[in-house]
Amino acid sequence: MTKNNVLLSVENLSVEFFTEDGQVRAVQNVTFDISKARTFALVGESGCGKSVTALSIMRLIPSPPGEVTAGRILFRGRALLELKERQMQRIRGDRIAMIFQEPMTSLNPVYTIGDQIVEAIRLHQKKNASQAWADAVEMLARVGISDPQQRAMDYPHQMSGGMRQRVMIAMAVSCEPSLLIADEPTTALDVTIQAQILNLLDELQKQNGMSILLITHNLGVVAERADKVAVMYASRIVEVADAGPLFAQPLHPYTQGLLRSLPRLGYTAKRLPTIAGTVPDPLHFPTGCKFHPRCPLGSDDKQCQTIEPMLREVRPGRKAACWHCPGYETEEEFKEYESKYGKHKRASVKS
Amino acid sequence: MTKEPNNKANWGISYGELVWREFGKNRLSVLCLGFIVFLFVLAVLAPFLANGKPYVIRIDGRLHFPLFGALKATDYCVFLAAIIGVAQLLLIRRNRRRIDPSLRGGVFWRQISVMAFVLVGGCVAICLRVPYKLDATNYRDMVASDKATGALFAPVPYGFGEVDLAVREQPPNAQHWLGTDDVGSDVLCRLIHGSRISLSVGFVAVGISCLIGIFVGAILGYFGGKIDFIGMRVVEIVMAIPTFFLIITIVAFFPRSLFNIMIIIGITSWTGDARFIRAEFFKLRKQDFVQAARSLGLPLRSILFRHMLPNGIAPVLVNATFGIAGAIFIEAALSFLGFGVAPPTPSWGQMLSLGVSTTGRFLWWLTLFPGFAIFFTVLAYNLVGEALRDAIDPRLRKAA
Amino acid sequence: MTTYVIRRLLLMIPTLLGITIMVFAISRLAPGDPVSLSMGPGGQMDAERAADVREARMRLYGLDKPVYEQYMTWLWKVVRLDFGDSIKHHRPVFDLIKERLPITLSLNIIAFVIIYTVSLPLGILAAVRHKRFFDRASSVILFMLWSLPSMWVGQMLIGYFCGPAFKNWFPPAGLSSNNADQLTFFPWFGDRLWHLAMPVLCLTYTGFAYLTKQVRAGMLDNLRADYVRTARAKGLSNAVVIFRHAFRNSIIPVITIMATLLPAMLAGSVIIERIFSVPGMGLLAFEAVTTRDYNVVMAVATVGGVLNLVGLLLGDIAYAIADPRISFESAV
Repeated sequence: MTKNNVLLSVENLSVEFFTEDGQVRAVQNVTFDISKARTFALVGESGCGKSVTALSIMRLIPSPPGEVTAGRILFRGRALLELKERQMQRIRGDRIAMIFQEPMTSLNPVYTIGDQIVEAIRLHQKKNASQAWADAVEMLARVGISDPQQRAMDYPHQMSGGMRQRVMIAMAVSCEPSLLIADEPTTALDVTIQAQILNLLDELQKQNGMSILLITHNLGVVAERADKVAVMYASRIVEVADAGPLFAQPLHPYTQGLLRSLPRLGYTAKRLPTIAGTVPDPLHFPTGCKFHPRCPLGSDDKQCQTIEPMLREVRPGRKAACWHCPGYETEEEFKEYESKYGKHKRASVKS
Repeated sequence: MTKEPNNKANWGISYGELVWREFGKNRLSVLCLGFIVFLFVLAVLAPFLANGKPYVIRIDGRLHFPLFGALKATDYCVFLAAIIGVAQLLLIRRNRRRIDPSLRGGVFWRQISVMAFVLVGGCVAICLRVPYKLDATNYRDMVASDKATGALFAPVPYGFGEVDLAVREQPPNAQHWLGTDDVGSDVLCRLIHGSRISLSVGFVAVGISCLIGIFVGAILGYFGGKIDFIGMRVVEIVMAIPTFFLIITIVAFFPRSLFNIMIIIGITSWTGDARFIRAEFFKLRKQDFVQAARSLGLPLRSILFRHMLPNGIAPVLVNATFGIAGAIFIEAALSFLGFGVAPPTPSWGQMLSLGVSTTGRFLWWLTLFPGFAIFFTVLAYNLVGEALRDAIDPRLRKAA
Repeated sequence: MTTYVIRRLLLMIPTLLGITIMVFAISRLAPGDPVSLSMGPGGQMDAERAADVREARMRLYGLDKPVYEQYMTWLWKVVRLDFGDSIKHHRPVFDLIKERLPITLSLNIIAFVIIYTVSLPLGILAAVRHKRFFDRASSVILFMLWSLPSMWVGQMLIGYFCGPAFKNWFPPAGLSSNNADQLTFFPWFGDRLWHLAMPVLCLTYTGFAYLTKQVRAGMLDNLRADYVRTARAKGLSNAVVIFRHAFRNSIIPVITIMATLLPAMLAGSVIIERIFSVPGMGLLAFEAVTTRDYNVVMAVATVGGVLNLVGLLLGDIAYAIADPRISFESAV
């Protein structure tokens, strides 16, 4: 990925929550890049920190308990974490937009949906009321809502879940943002509606050239729609790769376990393989690699138990955080690596 | 890993314990609870703390115990109630330590029933057996005129009904620490004895309103349909009546007695509880455990009161504490307006009404002290109710 | 919406009937009657003459007929707004009410306005600064205000601020000074306000606590709602999010409270009008009850009931208007 193609760059982001029960490190040392006009998927189980990552890009982390404790977020070269709140407000909804998981509760029940879209338009663009209303109706048509003139005067409780999510998308895309963050946009919807919503997002991406940060736990969706994938586990990114290579050859044991547990056509085994154990309690993460208690490779390995592996490049264009992933550690190894895989840009070495 | 019911390590935490622990985290409310306990102690021990008769006195060489002899039936009933109350609390502690939570509920209700039976039976027996003796000897005068010696008086050596016009309307001084009222009774003494009235009104009135409200709400909530429709119209009628007007109307027309007041406050304030229980029962009706109980053929009262009620009672408990505060308020207001208990029975509200004398003098000690008493009591109950609400709610949310 | 209002008004009728029956029953069930009271022990007349006078008076007031007949006659008159005559004042009850109701209503409405003006911003501020000093401090203070008995406060105010003993800033009683009818409008108005200051103060402080708590609770719930997160994600400023989004949703339960606040204040009026000798409905009710003035008691209770029901109806209508999720068809 060449530098001027990168839209958003997250570097070593750490977010912590200071609660009554203790200090929860929801996101630790997360690093990834999102390119222009591409879909980047952030995958993981519930509670692994993917939503918190997304919210911290928008700087919407509720501040008394939560705090970004480290890291940088560069959006088009601007450091988002250093902006004043006013400046950030200008970016939200306009340059970076977000849609959420629960369309039922994510819209204000006392205003019409037309009003809510108009609010977003008039906030960021200098348009008068009738222009903004016309824009809103047009947006509703673009997201596939029939009879948009009439629907714009409806209240959220009069619409179905799928329609509400379309309205959310219309609201988010109304100012043509360069990045759309979609936090589990289809999880609360029926399967048939899911496909429609995802198609809609694809279309909008092609039309506007916007990037999408897709947060989901559904690997099927990722396989279909994502260009690049980052897998998160227990607040850390454990693997980053392009979608094709990730699914063809997962490197991190967690990713391998996830993919193995997906039922596929032609599967003949009697039992579906699972990953033993459960996701760790964020208040009491295991020492060393957070996945080691459940890992077939690392549960007995002393290094896995004591030292946390860093996310490093282990193949050209692929990163993983695992002691058992082959990669290069010294200059000699790097040269060997290069001779095997061809010349490529050198990434971070194990520290 | 079989679960042995009596293995203490396997006991979870019961709902009551959960609420109690959460409640205990709030120091202010524990303080208020302590204050309420203090008031109860005050009320129970009132005849020993403030009494015109001495504990012991020597007349003509013989020892007499006038105070103990003059204890009335109500005093004995109050002692009995206090003893039973303390015994029940100790039993609860023992239950918690010895009995498995799943069995605790049944045991607890059996204990309460036995205690209630003993209490009621005991009170009836006491009222029938203890004669009403009127001892009008003025022991203080006897001591003053040396007719008797060696007298040990209560800390506040005045009775609440004593009339001494020579010292009426005196501000606080060495003899009467909080002053005297319009007929010369000691204010501190009447304050202490007045706590009995306030506390009992609170409990009985709220008890009555809870009983009626729970019963009505349970029926309406469980059956729904036509019964609910008609029932709700009735509830609305009762709610639409301007309660305070109704109370003063009733209270003014019927003979003045503490009992009447308690009943009246009780039967006018049950609508809130009824609505809560009805709403809860609507929700619970559809739940599986209710369906299971019905399919087992359990009798209606069992379904309603043994199964559904414990799950829906939380808002009623919270409402009850606020209700006690409200009842104390109303009683004080009624006594203030002249409709409450008749003198010489002491009531904080009635004392408050004497704050401005018939000649227009502002008797600040008759305004300040009873007012503070009402204020602190109501404040304590309100804070406890608020803390109880906080203790119950987040637990429900976390457990859900 | 008109059908809804008409339906509610029709439903009010059985409720009103129920209230009147209840009030009537109570006043008749009680021992004693106004004639005996007004006649007193009758020691000056001999027994036979006293009995005659008593009978005549009973006939005059229709007290000799059977109870249900008395009820029907009374009800029929009430429907035509004839509440009979006051036994104590010897004037039509309707006139008495006409004089006194506006006073009580104005007292309560002023208090109402003050309560709302203070509580709404207070509640919002407490919710926004949740768990910080302002929230905690205002919580405690409001709680204490809620627990203060109104008669105590009234009496203390009179004692400390309205009398010769301490400060003499306000008048202790009455609605206007003795020379009020000689004043022009503005001095008269000012004099009126001066007299009303203490009673209104007593009436308002209890309302503060209750309303502020409700506003605060509603705001806390709504500030944590998903749609607020969406609004922030759109880039709206904090102020807009708080007022246009969270507050607009929080106000819905607050409106329904308006319905219950009014009857509570009418009740409180009784005590306050008694303490400050303000000639309103509350004082009328109090005097009527002490003198067993049947007609007045029943009239006051009926009027109070009507006001209650009207308040409830207005509250429900306002609720349906404020919350678009409630349609008039579904709300009964």
